[in-house]
Amino acid sequence: MNSHCNGTGKQLVTDFYYNNGFSEPSLETKKTTVQQRKQHETSGKDAEDESRLPALEAAYSSILRGLGEDTDRQGLLRTPLRAAKAMQFLTKGYHEDVYDILNDAIFDEDHDEIVIVKDIEMFSLCEHHLVPFFGRVHIGYLPNKKVVGLSKLARIVEMYSRRLQVQERLTKQIAMAISEALQPAGVAVVIEAAHMCMVMRGVQKMNSRTVTSCMLGVFREDPKTREEFLRLTKTA
Amino acid sequence: MERSKQSHDNQADSRPTTNESSLNGHFDGLVKKDTRNVGCQGTGTAGESSSHTGSSVVENWKHERTRSIEDNEMSLPSLAAAYTTIIRGLGEDPQRQGLLKTPWRAATAMQFFTKGYQEKIIDVLNDAIFDEDHDEMVIVKDIDMFSMCEHHLVPIFGRVHIGYLPNKRVLGLSKLARIVEIYSRRLQVQERLTKQIAVAITEALQPAGVGVVIEATHMCMVMRGVQKMNSKTVTSTMLGVFREDPKTRDEFLTLIRN
Repeated sequence: MNSHCNGTGKQLVTDFYYNNGFSEPSLETKKTTVQQRKQHETSGKDAEDESRLPALEAAYSSILRGLGEDTDRQGLLRTPLRAAKAMQFLTKGYHEDVYDILNDAIFDEDHDEIVIVKDIEMFSLCEHHLVPFFGRVHIGYLPNKKVVGLSKLARIVEMYSRRLQVQERLTKQIAMAISEALQPAGVAVVIEAAHMCMVMRGVQKMNSRTVTSCMLGVFREDPKTREEFLRLTKTA
Repeated sequence: MERSKQSHDNQADSRPTTNESSLNGHFDGLVKKDTRNVGCQGTGTAGESSSHTGSSVVENWKHERTRSIEDNEMSLPSLAAAYTTIIRGLGEDPQRQGLLKTPWRAATAMQFFTKGYQEKIIDVLNDAIFDEDHDEMVIVKDIDMFSMCEHHLVPIFGRVHIGYLPNKRVLGLSKLARIVEIYSRRLQVQERLTKQIAVAITEALQPAGVGVVIEATHMCMVMRGVQKMNSKTVTSTMLGVFREDPKTRDEFLTLIRN
């Protein structure tokens, strides 16, 4: 699913890019089609979620029983439903794609200095233990005639993090998505996260943090650019 | 108060040795009965009948139903199957490499997160109560606590601060942290967790007073729902002289602040 979505995103972004040239239809009709498609898709996704809920609920009930709890006690009566909905929320990134997220927010701008959005809070689920890991994402890119709406960077983070993830893959997916959408001179993504699977269980190291990074383009080739990014995102 | 009253009504007739009684709620019922036996004014819910007035505290703890290692092993396949269903139900492919053994790992992890059900207070405390002529406050603070929200099955984590005024008997310090572990590694509600810790210490030591403060972050509020990143929930239970004497309570709260 994760790699599948990657492929689809690429195709859609390429289409988007191609259609955004001078030969595009009028903006109005394009907006309407996009809106209609969005509405149709959202209602489709909601229905899909609803239809999967009973199976998830049954699974959670069986988990509660398997742990030795009494599923009839007051505090646990609706827990299977709540837990199933919570899990669907925490994996809602599977339903989204980059095209929808970016939402036409790519602008032509003659800026060629680093743009950084840092300290983006990120919450994801470890795909190995189904336990949360959370932290901060710092994103920087060097535009090449195109800049993106700032919140869209955070939305891209949301989309890829609300899945069953591995921190390394998450970092790379964010970097690749920005790279393909904007074709910038370079992209840098750094994630620092605490993994509950290491903190709450297993080796139980409270203060450990995992840091991963992905440097593309000029951030990879030019050490000075990379250093500028790292210095600007360093927390005091 | 409303909620805890209801759950007590559910448990009022259950005997501790039946297999159907729940782990957490069951102990809740026992705890309510026992606080009326002990001198401290704990919960204040008077009026329900108690059938345990005569038995000692230690007897009650012996009747606690606990999960065993064998129980864990036997329920692992069904837990793993449930997790496979969940992964598939979320739209993922359980056969892809990263997810192949996830159901087993997740099931074992969940059993670890609820290992409090496998342990009994009496096993933890039995040897570490000492006679000591100390009558000043003893505080163990910043005990890291990890629990699971019983409503959403999502982690809660934070710190517990415990203080007590001994009355001729002191407890091994790590035992306070172990009591926190036993009660927190369960499907919990922060209010109940705070009270259970306080009552356990009260019943073990009969001190002049106990104070427990828990400050925690609830992932169910941070990762989903209202999504407030920096919110913390603070609950406290003050028993005995901590409840009656404001100066003692003040001293405790000041000492845990730093």
